Amino acid sequence: MTHIVEVVGLSKMFGTLTALDGLTFTVRPGRVTGFLGPNGAGKTTTLRCLLGLLTPTAGSATIGGRAYRDLDDPLGTVGAALESSGFHPGRSARAHLEAVALAGGVNPSRVTTLLAMVGLTEVADRRVGGFSLGMRQRLALAQALLGDPAVLLLDEPANGLDPAGIAWLRTFLRSLAAEGRTVLVSSHVLSEVEQTVDEVVVVSHGRLVRQGTLAELGAGSRAVLVRTPHPQALRDALPGQPVEQLPDGRLRVSGSTTEGVGHALYLAGVEVHELVAEAGDLERLFLDLTAEQPATVAS
Amino acid sequence: MTSRMMTGLVRSELRKIVSTRLWWGLLLGAVVYTAVQAGVTAGFAGVTLSTAQPATAGLDTAAGIRGVYAESLFTGSYILAMILGITGMTGEYRYQTITSTFLVSPRRSRVVGAKLAAHLLVGLGYGIVALVTALVVGGLVIGVRGHGLGYGVDRLWPSIVLAVVAVGLWTVLGIGIGTLIRNQVAAILIGVFVIFLLQPLLTLGLSAANLDSVAKWLPTNASSALMAPGVTIVDYLTWWGGGLVLLGYALVLAALGIVLSVRRDIS
Repeated sequence: MTHIVEVVGLSKMFGTLTALDGLTFTVRPGRVTGFLGPNGAGKTTTLRCLLGLLTPTAGSATIGGRAYRDLDDPLGTVGAALESSGFHPGRSARAHLEAVALAGGVNPSRVTTLLAMVGLTEVADRRVGGFSLGMRQRLALAQALLGDPAVLLLDEPANGLDPAGIAWLRTFLRSLAAEGRTVLVSSHVLSEVEQTVDEVVVVSHGRLVRQGTLAELGAGSRAVLVRTPHPQALRDALPGQPVEQLPDGRLRVSGSTTEGVGHALYLAGVEVHELVAEAGDLERLFLDLTAEQPATVAS
Repeated sequence: MTSRMMTGLVRSELRKIVSTRLWWGLLLGAVVYTAVQAGVTAGFAGVTLSTAQPATAGLDTAAGIRGVYAESLFTGSYILAMILGITGMTGEYRYQTITSTFLVSPRRSRVVGAKLAAHLLVGLGYGIVALVTALVVGGLVIGVRGHGLGYGVDRLWPSIVLAVVAVGLWTVLGIGIGTLIRNQVAAILIGVFVIFLLQPLLTLGLSAANLDSVAKWLPTNASSALMAPGVTIVDYLTWWGGGLVLLGYALVLAALGIVLSVRRDIS
């Protein structure tokens, strides 16, 4: 069973503060969608509206065409891991998941399976109060997966994970999407999700800025920036490739990769001081968004 | 809504209660307080302490024995039972576990219903443990003073059973308070303030104004009525009336809480 997540004209006011301002986007099954925006853009508010925790001021947020509060089997339909979702510090990871499983009609024996899946077996009976942020993230993920849901909504899941954990999460999310699930992952750090997501939804100030696949948004740029004391030698080493002088002194080689340019310059013996891939359109867009001070606050 | 779902919710709430250390800390408090209460009641029953104060009912009377067992078990445990109820609700907000709770069960009033049921069960358990404490400590002191244990006195066992029920109802009342007042510290302080200060003052004031018929509706007086079946104290409710009034307080507070607090945004 697959479900489309649909947000239509969603608005949410906190007093006089506008957190969401007519936000509209769609999340499709079978792929990982990144939900991107600077801190305070309204990502968490959107997720909380989708999950029936907040009542929208206007608009709708539905899962498979139904409001979360109307779902027959919430735990088996949507798995959610929210950043501020808490754990009682005095309760063990296992007891927490068992309480959730009992309430959601899930066989408590699944708890052991999930604790193993997220790598918490050894600390399962310890109190959560002593857990690191990364361990809490894993526990939240285990809770989200408890009901084997068709839809996953994850708020900043990479926060607090070590590089190995992030790599693991990446593979894991991809495999979940490959099974036909709908996966939405929020982040305020583009590079964190860039290698995981197929599609992105970019928000700022509670409004949609852009939605599309990474290719459509030009995430992977095909230009290389090079700093060298011998510009002419570089041009000679790369015959037929457009080279452009940038104001900062660097040379921009379009239509190539760092590997291609690096190899050609190595063969030609050209001295190089810097060689990087140019930031894609998405990254530039994202940098512009995060550079300005957001007017709204995260909730 | 199937009964299987509701059973799951209640079992989930029970799992939450027993999986942190609070419940046995409070239970330990109830045992100690009940032991002191039963010991002192039995120790001073029928003893004239000063000419200004009439002696309490002696250990050779049914009222004296009921005081040692039934009233002690209630007095020693009902406040701790109420605090357990309050924290059962407010703890969810304090540690933000309410998010998980409402994600699993988005129909929020069902969560409150499950908490009422689960805490009633645990509250009755508190009452039974307090009863055992009162029987042991009270019995010891009674024995030391050379009296019979008095297990056969008039209306003892109905009083004891109803005292246990009263403790359970105070746990439910705690859920009601916690549902209405989200802040844990505020809810506990207000609960304790009402019991120890507001209620006695109101009872005194109402008595002075010849309004005993109003004072009998206060929760503690309703509890006293519940524990005293067949005892006709002027201006007390009947035992079942007292029980219904206590339950009524709990349900009205919980219903108010659902309307005013539980439906609000969780952010």
